Amino acid sequence: MTIRLEYLIPLPLLDQQRGESEVWETSRLNFEPGLSYLVEAASGRGKTSLLSIIYGLRKDYRGKVFIDESDISTLGEKEWSVLRKTRLSFIFQGLELFDELTAMENIRLKNSITRHKSEKEIQEMAGRLDIDDFLQRKTGILSFGQQQRVAIIRAMCQPFDYLLADECFSHMDHKNGKLAYDLISEECKAQDAGLILSSLNSSEEITSSKKLIL
Amino acid sequence: MKGLYSILWSDNSRAHLLGAFLGTLAGLVLLLSGIQFYTDIKLVLSDNQDLLDPEYIVVNKKINIGQTLGFSGSGFSPEEITALRQQPFADKLAPFISNAFPIQAFTESDKVPNFSTELFFEAIPDEYIDIKSDEWQWDPEEGIIPIIIPQDFLNLYNFGFAQSQGLPQIPKGVVSVLNFRIRLNGSSGNYQDLPGRIVGFSNRIHSILVPQDFLTWANDTYGYFEKVDPSRVILVSKDPTDPAIIKYIEDNGYDTIREKLKGSRLNIILKFIISFLVLIAGIIILLAFLVFFLSLQLMISRSSQKIKRLHKLGFHYREISRPYIFLLLILMIAVTSIALLITGLFTRQMAAMAEQWNMAISSSLHGIIFGTALALITLISLSNVIAILISTKKLCK
Repeated sequence: MTIRLEYLIPLPLLDQQRGESEVWETSRLNFEPGLSYLVEAASGRGKTSLLSIIYGLRKDYRGKVFIDESDISTLGEKEWSVLRKTRLSFIFQGLELFDELTAMENIRLKNSITRHKSEKEIQEMAGRLDIDDFLQRKTGILSFGQQQRVAIIRAMCQPFDYLLADECFSHMDHKNGKLAYDLISEECKAQDAGLILSSLNSSEEITSSKKLIL
Repeated sequence: MKGLYSILWSDNSRAHLLGAFLGTLAGLVLLLSGIQFYTDIKLVLSDNQDLLDPEYIVVNKKINIGQTLGFSGSGFSPEEITALRQQPFADKLAPFISNAFPIQAFTESDKVPNFSTELFFEAIPDEYIDIKSDEWQWDPEEGIIPIIIPQDFLNLYNFGFAQSQGLPQIPKGVVSVLNFRIRLNGSSGNYQDLPGRIVGFSNRIHSILVPQDFLTWANDTYGYFEKVDPSRVILVSKDPTDPAIIKYIEDNGYDTIREKLKGSRLNIILKFIISFLVLIAGIIILLAFLVFFLSLQLMISRSSQKIKRLHKLGFHYREISRPYIFLLLILMIAVTSIALLITGLFTRQMAAMAEQWNMAISSSLHGIIFGTALALITLISLSNVIAILISTKKLCK
C-alpha cells in the first residue's frame, strides 16, 4: 500500500505559526509500501491529526490524501469499513478500549470481525508483552501502560498493509516499550506492511525508521 | 461476537422494553381475539341464514302522508331501480308488475257461499317464487288463471276469521280445488270471465301472484290505468348478513320486512363493536410500537460513543446494528408467540362456553389470525429495523 499526501494541512493548523515541516503542505509525500516512518513533533503539531486523516476519521483538511491512487475523500462508509478491517490498522492514542469488557474481550471484539489470530496467538502476544495475567480483568481497572499493550495486541488482530501507531509507547517503561516495538515490527515484517509511528521524541527503542519532522 | 452484544445491550432500558413488550402483547391479544370472534360470529350468522339459500328481499318505499294525499308516488323510478340493481349485494332484482285494470273474483257454485270481491294481481318472474308447480303457467287456450296467495292469508282466515264467524276452516288441499271466477274489466265496460285456481301458498311473497305472461297479456288487452312505477321490488342477495343492505335501504327511505335482515342488522352492531375493539387495539399497538421505537432509539443514542468507537475499529454500521435488530426480533417473536398462545387459550375457553349455549364456534385459531399477527409484527419489525439502520448509520458518519 502506498499512501500519498499532496499539500495536506489540517484546517485548525492553518492559523498557527508553523516552522519548517516535512509533512504539512509538501507538494508530494509518499509513504512507500513496507517501510516504517517515525513522525516526530512536539504536542499540538498535528501528529494525531495526520494519522486520523489517513485513517479517515477526520475530514477537516486541505489538500489531498491518496491510498493506492484513490482519493480517500471519495471513499464511502463501506469502503472505509473494509479498509479498516483488512488493510489499515490503528493504535489510537486514546486507545478506544471498552472499559466494561475484559482485556481479552476487547481483543476478541476486533478479532471477531477479522478472524485473523487464533486464541493461542493472542495468548502468546500477551505473554510477550507481559500482560497475560491481566487478560481476564476488566480493562477499566488496568493501568494506562497495560491498556496501551492491550490496544497494541488488538491492532495486531487484523491483516494490514499499513499500521498507524499514535504515541503507543507513551506510558511504558523502556523495557516494555522495546518489547512492544519488537512485536509491532515483527508483525509488520510478517505482513509485509508499512508503519507510521508518531512520537513526541525519538525514543531509543525505535530503530530503522525514516524520520519525518512535523 | 459476544463482546459486541454485551457492549451494546448493556445500555438498554429494561423498564421501557418491558413496557413496550406488555403493551404490544395486550394490544395484539385484543386485536387477534377481536378478529377471531368476528370471523366466528360471521360464520355462525351465515350458517343460520343458510349460505346456500340466498335471501329474497322485497323492498318498497316507506309510505308517508304525501303519498297518502297523492302528492308523491310510492313507486320506484327507473333510475332508482337501476341504482338498486348496481348495488353489490343485489345479485338479481325484479320489479313487481301490477294490474292496470279492475279485477273481481266471485264464486258461481251452489256448494259454497257466494261471494264477490275486488282484487288485485301482481306478477314477478318465476325464478323469484318459492312455489314450484306444474299448474303455475298461463295457457291462453285453457284460460285458467293460476294464483298464488300468501300462506298468511289462509292462516288469517282459518285461525282468525273462520273461527270467530263460525265458518268452516279450509285445509290447503280444499282451497286448491275451489272454483271461482275472475272478471277482467276493460275501460269501455267490456269484460272477460276466466276460471281461477289457487295453486300454492307463498311464505316468501306477501301478494296475490299470477304468472307474469298472463298479467302482461291482460294488461295489454284490458289495461287502461295510467302507467305507474312499480311499488315493490324483489331482490336476491347471496349474503343477507351484508350490512350494506340495511344501510342502503335506510339511506334511501325504503322499507322491507326487517326480520329477514336481522343478520344484516346484527352484523352492523357487531361490526361496530369489533371496529371499536380493533381501534382500541390499534391505538395500544401504535403506542407500544412507539415505546419500542423510542426504547431502541434511546438505547442507540446512549451507546453513541461506543458505536462511534466500534466504527473506528472497522465495524460497519450494519454489523453494529445487528445486536439491536436481534434484540428487536427476539422480543417480536416472543410477543407474537405469547399473544397467539393467549388468544388460542382464550378461544378454547370461549368455544367451550359457546357450546353450552348451543353455538358452534371454532376452538382453534383461524388462519387469518396468524396472517394478521405475522403482517403486524413484520410491519413493526421492519419499520424499527429501518429506523435502527438509519440511526446507527448516522452515528457512523
